[in-house]
Amino acid sequence: MPKHYRPAGKKKEGNAARYMTRSQALKSLQVNLSLFRRLCIVKGVFPREPKKKVKGNHHTYYHVKDISFLQHEPLLEKFREIRTYQKKVLKAKAKKNEELARLLLTRQPTYKLDRLIRERYPTFIDALRDLDDCLTMVHLFAVLPASDRENLEVKRVHNCRRLSHEWQAYISRTHALRKVFVSVKGIYYQAELEGQKITWLTPHAIQQVFTNDVDFSVLLTFLEFYETLLAFINFKLYHSLNVKYPPILDSRLEALAADLYALSRYIDASSRGMTVEPKSDASSSSQSNDREESELRLAQLQHQLPSSEPGALMHIVADNNKEVEEDEETRVCKSLFKDLKFFLSREVPRESLLFVLPAFGGMVSWEGEGAPFKEDDESITHHIIDKPSAGHMYLSREYVQPQWIYDCVNARIILPTEKYMVGSIPPPHLSPFVDNEAEGYVPDYAETIKRLQAAARNDVLPLPGVGKEDLEDPQNLLYAGVMSRAEEAEAARNKKKMAELEKQYHEELKMELRGSAVDVAPVVEEVGEGEESVPDAANTQTAQDTSDMPTLLMSRKKRKLYEAMKKGQKKKSEAVEALEQRKKRLNAGQQ
Amino acid sequence: MKKRETANKDQMRETKSKSKNVSVSVKSQKQKAVVKEVKPVEKEVKSLKEEDLLLDSGTDSDYDGDSLSGSLNSDDFDSDIFDSEDDGSQRETEDGDRESSKDEVHGIEGSDDNDDEGEQVDSENGEEDGSGDEGSEQDEVAEESDSSEDEVAPRNTVGDVPLEWYKDEKHIGYDITGKKITKKEKQDKLDSFLATMDDSKNWRKIYDEYNDEEVELTKEESKLIRRMLKGEAPHADFDPYTPYVDWFKWDDAIHPLSSAPEPKRRFIPSKWEAKKVVKYVRAIRKGLIKFDKPEEEPNVYLLWGDDSTSDQKSKHLTYIPPPKLKLPGHEESYNPSLEYIPTEEEKASYELMYEEDRPNFIPTSLSVMVNVFVHRFASLRSIPAYPNALKESFNRCLDLYLCPRVRKKRINIDPESLKPKLPSRKDLRPYPNSCYLEYKGHTGAVTSISTECSGQWIASGSTDGSVRLWEVETGRCLKIWQFDEAVKCVAWNPLSDFPILAVAMGRDLVILNTELGTDEEQKNIKDLLQLGDLPEPKAAVAAIVSWLPDELYGGIKIRHFKNISNIDWHRKGDYLSTVMASGETRGVVIHQISKKVTTKPYKIRGLPVSAVFHPSRSYLFIATKKNVRVYNLLTVDEPVKKLETGMREISSMAIHPGGDNLIVGSKEGKMCWFDMDLSSKPYKTLKNHPKDITNVAYHRSYPLFASSSEDSTAYVFHGKVFNDLNENPLIVPLEILRGHSSSNGGGVLDCKFHPRQPWLFTAGADSIIKLYCH
Repeated sequence: MPKHYRPAGKKKEGNAARYMTRSQALKSLQVNLSLFRRLCIVKGVFPREPKKKVKGNHHTYYHVKDISFLQHEPLLEKFREIRTYQKKVLKAKAKKNEELARLLLTRQPTYKLDRLIRERYPTFIDALRDLDDCLTMVHLFAVLPASDRENLEVKRVHNCRRLSHEWQAYISRTHALRKVFVSVKGIYYQAELEGQKITWLTPHAIQQVFTNDVDFSVLLTFLEFYETLLAFINFKLYHSLNVKYPPILDSRLEALAADLYALSRYIDASSRGMTVEPKSDASSSSQSNDREESELRLAQLQHQLPSSEPGALMHIVADNNKEVEEDEETRVCKSLFKDLKFFLSREVPRESLLFVLPAFGGMVSWEGEGAPFKEDDESITHHIIDKPSAGHMYLSREYVQPQWIYDCVNARIILPTEKYMVGSIPPPHLSPFVDNEAEGYVPDYAETIKRLQAAARNDVLPLPGVGKEDLEDPQNLLYAGVMSRAEEAEAARNKKKMAELEKQYHEELKMELRGSAVDVAPVVEEVGEGEESVPDAANTQTAQDTSDMPTLLMSRKKRKLYEAMKKGQKKKSEAVEALEQRKKRLNAGQQ
Repeated sequence: MKKRETANKDQMRETKSKSKNVSVSVKSQKQKAVVKEVKPVEKEVKSLKEEDLLLDSGTDSDYDGDSLSGSLNSDDFDSDIFDSEDDGSQRETEDGDRESSKDEVHGIEGSDDNDDEGEQVDSENGEEDGSGDEGSEQDEVAEESDSSEDEVAPRNTVGDVPLEWYKDEKHIGYDITGKKITKKEKQDKLDSFLATMDDSKNWRKIYDEYNDEEVELTKEESKLIRRMLKGEAPHADFDPYTPYVDWFKWDDAIHPLSSAPEPKRRFIPSKWEAKKVVKYVRAIRKGLIKFDKPEEEPNVYLLWGDDSTSDQKSKHLTYIPPPKLKLPGHEESYNPSLEYIPTEEEKASYELMYEEDRPNFIPTSLSVMVNVFVHRFASLRSIPAYPNALKESFNRCLDLYLCPRVRKKRINIDPESLKPKLPSRKDLRPYPNSCYLEYKGHTGAVTSISTECSGQWIASGSTDGSVRLWEVETGRCLKIWQFDEAVKCVAWNPLSDFPILAVAMGRDLVILNTELGTDEEQKNIKDLLQLGDLPEPKAAVAAIVSWLPDELYGGIKIRHFKNISNIDWHRKGDYLSTVMASGETRGVVIHQISKKVTTKPYKIRGLPVSAVFHPSRSYLFIATKKNVRVYNLLTVDEPVKKLETGMREISSMAIHPGGDNLIVGSKEGKMCWFDMDLSSKPYKTLKNHPKDITNVAYHRSYPLFASSSEDSTAYVFHGKVFNDLNENPLIVPLEILRGHSSSNGGGVLDCKFHPRQPWLFTAGADSIIKLYCH
């Protein structure tokens, strides 16, 4: 009798009934693999891991409920319809009936994904939680070249570009950006929206190359879903700002490839509504400039906003309320570059900085047309330059490399610019995503930044009696904690050292005593001496023994878990060790 | 009404058709000319020139229309429109349906002629209306002029072949005499460019590829071209909108072309047309046909309007959100801290690793390498595009839709908290923890040791064939017995008044008199070891064992049929069990020394490893490779109990002096504690040694047990058995005893406890016996 024998007439039970393999699923859905893949991607259905794999280990298993979920999807029917329609077109073409084929092509059935998005993400927060991949993908495709071979149309690339800019404009406008990290792979951004931390990666603005080992149809299916998702999310976000979506952009700026700037202006303009005094924002520093700006905005308003907006006054109020509601972090972020004016040189990555600087309250301009102010503006405080040497230098401003901005943003303070001068190799750029304490290794520059932060806080902090702010500031607390921990560690180390010295002294005394008793037990002494020669080794051995002893009595499951944990810890400590050794070697090499 | 309309519409066309009709008659005359007219269009320049020439030749050139118009003119000139219309209607009467098709056909037919003929008819109209019969004459003249012009113009007679065929040749074609026309020297590009820049007339120069020469256009020619570019007629004086003149004189026609009466259908509205109209009207009313495009619904709208309503629980399976990607660390920075960049050697070592183990992101230093991606950049602008961006994105996509997702609980606890709380070792003292004495003297690995029951002496057997007797306290070697074979096992008689020693080597078991003890005891021993007349053994036993006197040291030698692996004394000191590992079913025998009798009590299943007597009752424990069986010595032949160790290969066994607990050591380094009251499965399994366990031992009185292993360590445990049956035995590991060194792959080969003191003897493969004291 086979192992899984089931008498006739008895239904399947357990895992055999609950899961089916992929080929079974295909059969029951009557679709081919590529269509199944599309459905899975769009519906967000993924394989599951049954406790017991009835059909064998090398199969992919789907839950029966998942498959029936796909079965009842109207989109499945729609896809079938599209397929028959395409057959019609083919037939017309084959019969040389060009007219009919053309006519048919103009009326192709289409489908929409909005219902699916609602289904997959019942609440807005859900959608935000899964936004990482979406943003990364859309940002990647925004810089890809359109390609016929890969079926990537120009339209889609442009759409991706537009969506990514809209997203960035919102983040920048609401000052929700928290961390930026320039890596080799691209620039990582982390924003915080409704309590969700959203991290995405934008590639460096250089033409990407297509590789052959990638199946574009998969990517494009994902992209299709992501585009729709991001559009809806953007709509919701813009709606929350009381801005019309999709935004209508200043065509002049758009043509100059300053979409982001155009967008942010648009948002500013529309969300302000009919505010007469736009200088309540960060741009209060320079009056003349401001007036120009406001005029521009008003001009935009006239043709962009619906002429009679009853809610305008309302949302000014709402806006004000929001300002109050803003959390501490946003306030810090908003005022980081508050009174600073930046000017970007030609070679600087403009897109990124145009996004980051306004997000932290700075004012930016760039070299080229459509820029809000020119290079010779006297009020410019920082000139971002990425060349080995600057040509004409204004004395009134500081010339820094772009990394300075990213480091400032991550540290939340204005760092001294000496190290970031033109032509010098800037200090290492550290990842803001790493918890140095948990990792066990703190790079030098992180220490420096920490010290600077402490100094800045002392400058800024009000009298201790006020108290509220420093209590709320988590970084402050953290820092204090760190300090106390470090001190503790130091003290403990000193203590240990003292104890060791003491112990050594006692041992020496003991040895002398034993020396007198040599004659009594020569063999013992011999052994003892042998051990004495490597006292440390023996000590560590016994210590290890005592720590290992209890593991003998653990159950196998627990022991495995324990060993795995130990292994992880060891790996971590080894990595730290390697870093420290490398550092030591580097220091030695320098001296 | 209808008639009139059609007439108006078709006015032009009809004239043309007529002219065509007429032209057919003329065609024979002017065929040549028509052929000439249809020149290849590609040779624009040439044809242009020719046309020009034609123009130059003036009014007497070959206008085909001339002849045509002439012929027309010769007929009736002043006809009426209505008449012509009449004509048309007559045709219509013939066959309404065919009419249209005919018209079309006509149109198509006419197209080749129309282009030239009709046009020229028109042009003729403007210039020379009523030029009369001269036309035909002119035609002839034109033909002549045509031929003369042919002689003059094209130098090249290569014919209508693609000029590419001559691309690589030195000549461009042949002149009329058949000689090759050589190509002109190609000018240097720069020179030609300069020349063109200098020449103010350059813009009107055209290169004639066919004749390989530059042609300078005259003013007129350039004007001509300009007009053609604009899409106008080449000649300025050509008027395309001349008023229509009906040349046909309809008045004179007496007979209609067709005499058939007008059909009825000409006078009633068409039924089918009406039906079609009704059909469309209905379709429009029903909304099947829409004239204005449907309003496009907005693609995006407020999807999550009010989140409070969407709290309903999904009926579907729980959604497992995809895990977020790992956030980048310091090493992924474009400008990492220098210590994050591995050295060359480290990188080389990464290369040697398995792909799974290799760190997936390796930062490299500023120094430029050929194919390794450089990861430290002096400035932002020098970062290149990341080549794996698409690939990584693709992999992520694959993960998202192809990988099974499982919710896993990540335990974030201190690993130390997993360890069981054990009583402090200090409270469990005394136990052996440090080496106190070493007994040196053997030259081979010490395979076995045994303690005398008083604890004053130990005996040891070694692979060098010697058995030594040591005094425990001093480490003095009292006696040495030398044998030919390596000693496998030694065992003291448990009775204190019979200090005799059983030594197993090869196939022999020798009972030795140690010559310790008082004279009376000695006498007893001598009596015991006297092999008098042996009782007749059973046949089955005789095949296995034979009792012989030992000539060497005056004891008893019991020869077995297979090599002995283990021996054990019964507590009463009279019985001795022997295990022969390769003896299979006959692997265990029991000797009775007093009666010099051997019995083969049981049929063993499997390979016997060890046989041990119960310390207080008449049971025998026999360990085979995987299981331990308990036999009652007095009654039955079948085992009373079977203990399943679950280990691969048992190597040793020891019984707690209480008799209800048992430890079993295995060759995979595991040790099992059986509580026989509890179950036939191990109460606790300890994996303490990485290598084979060679022996396990209980202390007689202290709650201690030990294991020795080939990894040159011995473990000492606290193993307390409670009298209360509800309480499980307490096992606490106490000490790892190191000190022996490994030799020939063997570590500690045997361990025994001192019978009185909490001391442990260990016999090492390094030929040393050690005593560990508390």
